[in-house]
Amino acid sequence: MSESTLLSGSTAAKTGAFAAGKSMRSERAAIAIGSHLVLIVAVITIVYPVVWMIFASFKSQTEIVTNIWGLPQSLRWENYSEAWANANMGFAIFNSIVSSLGTVLLVTILAALTGYAFARFRFRFSLAIFLLLIFTMHAPTPVIPLYLMLVRLKLTDSLLGLVLPMVAGGLPLAIFIFRAFFQSIPSELVDAAKVDGCNEFSAFRRVIAPISTPAIATVAILQFVSAWNEYFLALILLRSPEVRTIPLAIQVFFYAWGRTQWEQVFAALTIGSLPMIILYIVMQRHFIQGLTAGSVKG
Amino acid sequence: MTASAAPSERPMPQRQMRRRRNLAPYLWILPSLLLYIVFKLAPMFAGIYLALLKWDGIEQPEFIGLRNFARILSDDVIGLALWHNVLYAFGTVVAKITLALLLALLLNQSLRGRTFYRTALFLPVVMSFVVVGILWSWLYSTQFGLINSLLTSLGLGMLAHDWLGDPATALWALMLVDIWKWYGFHMVIFLAGLQTIPVELYEAAHIDGASRFQQFARITLPLLQPVMLVNVTLALMGAFNVFDIPYIMTEGGPANSTIVMALHIYIRGFKFYQFGYAAALSYVLLVLVTLIAAIQMKMMSGNDAN
Repeated sequence: MSESTLLSGSTAAKTGAFAAGKSMRSERAAIAIGSHLVLIVAVITIVYPVVWMIFASFKSQTEIVTNIWGLPQSLRWENYSEAWANANMGFAIFNSIVSSLGTVLLVTILAALTGYAFARFRFRFSLAIFLLLIFTMHAPTPVIPLYLMLVRLKLTDSLLGLVLPMVAGGLPLAIFIFRAFFQSIPSELVDAAKVDGCNEFSAFRRVIAPISTPAIATVAILQFVSAWNEYFLALILLRSPEVRTIPLAIQVFFYAWGRTQWEQVFAALTIGSLPMIILYIVMQRHFIQGLTAGSVKG
Repeated sequence: MTASAAPSERPMPQRQMRRRRNLAPYLWILPSLLLYIVFKLAPMFAGIYLALLKWDGIEQPEFIGLRNFARILSDDVIGLALWHNVLYAFGTVVAKITLALLLALLLNQSLRGRTFYRTALFLPVVMSFVVVGILWSWLYSTQFGLINSLLTSLGLGMLAHDWLGDPATALWALMLVDIWKWYGFHMVIFLAGLQTIPVELYEAAHIDGASRFQQFARITLPLLQPVMLVNVTLALMGAFNVFDIPYIMTEGGPANSTIVMALHIYIRGFKFYQFGYAAALSYVLLVLVTLIAAIQMKMMSGNDAN
């Protein structure tokens, strides 16, 4: 475009720009409406089945098959009390809480120490060990040797036997997260603490640990959700009803009662998943951050 | 460690000190390492010996060399199981990545209710596969399930189907559940990647007259490559390790139409008590997944080098 046409056509260009701005604005509005529509459809397909499960947990057996889509006509709380008793949900919740918190505690403490060592100390084989952890982390553990070893150690049918492999499975990613976090902390902080008479460990405990809440929260949430939902290890390791965790208790209940007392199955499903869902909604930012942390940084 | 300032007046203690200091880091990593060795690495290596045995867990184990590995080659089910894993990987990866990327692009605009959408779409990630699997078994049920009821009410009653009972559809029905549970997760990862792309790039491209599609193809996709790699690898590994959904929803049936490697290993080991053979089978899966991880690491380091 030459200079003269630019100058002579300046008013035309202005009105043209105005029209373009208008059409762009309406184009933008159309895109926004389209986006909302797509997102709403997506949200409905994700959320409705979950809401439907909660509705069904309050319906009677016949209502579930006759009133498929709607709200429950009345709230049948007895579904819950029956499911609670028949699926041994009291034991299951207790076991899930104990094993999940145990896993969280062990992974967080051990991985923090290890991640700190990788971030701060130079030592022989540190990179090799770190890479070994990262490289084997996703490899599926051969389940038969693991099972036979736990039998030998008399750890089957016990929560400890469930927790230890879960901890081993969770450590590499947690170490990875802690290492990255501690690398971002200036080492002057520890040096200053050591001038004040701390040794390396007490500096870690008194100075570093208190400012590590973001990393601790990330690791703890990640471990808590995966331990809470762990099914495969529970399936091969836990036998007696008293040691079953929630996923196993629900699955056993479903196999035994699913074809006859389905309203109770939905109550059991709701009991089993609602606490986590509520926790998630309350702390959604932390949950999303924690559950995707390793992959986003990796 | 505080004494390290005093130089070589007394050599002996200092040498001891240095040795102690060199050992100290190992103390920090020892507890983790021990647990990891015992409960992860040991089974990974001990399994190799186990795979050389014929053993049902009760009678005396019999050493049979590589016969378990030879048997893999003539196992009718393993080909089927691997094929299902490949199909499963293909279907779930393509669908998860497409859906996740599309929705992440939508959420990357300044849109009202973004947090709500993101929170809602991520919801199934925190639910267990047991709950999700049982819920979906019911959604798929022939007469009372939501899916068939939806199809009927849309006037598509002829499409209503026994989704899990028909060998032709069962595996695809399971994939849908996996996609449903996980695409929100991949979406959040894409979203994080999108937010690292500088807005100036798009502004410059816009001034140069690049269309939206050109901006997507020339700016967004290339810059998303590392995130894409993470998403694809995670989804791929998930697809090869898949166990919970087929075990809970179909137990590998009907007629082995949903059998996958992890389930095949479980059935050989815990239903037929063929411990040696099941151990040998796990190495097929292990090698496959490790290969995927290795390829990812290789590509990642390639990315860093650029």
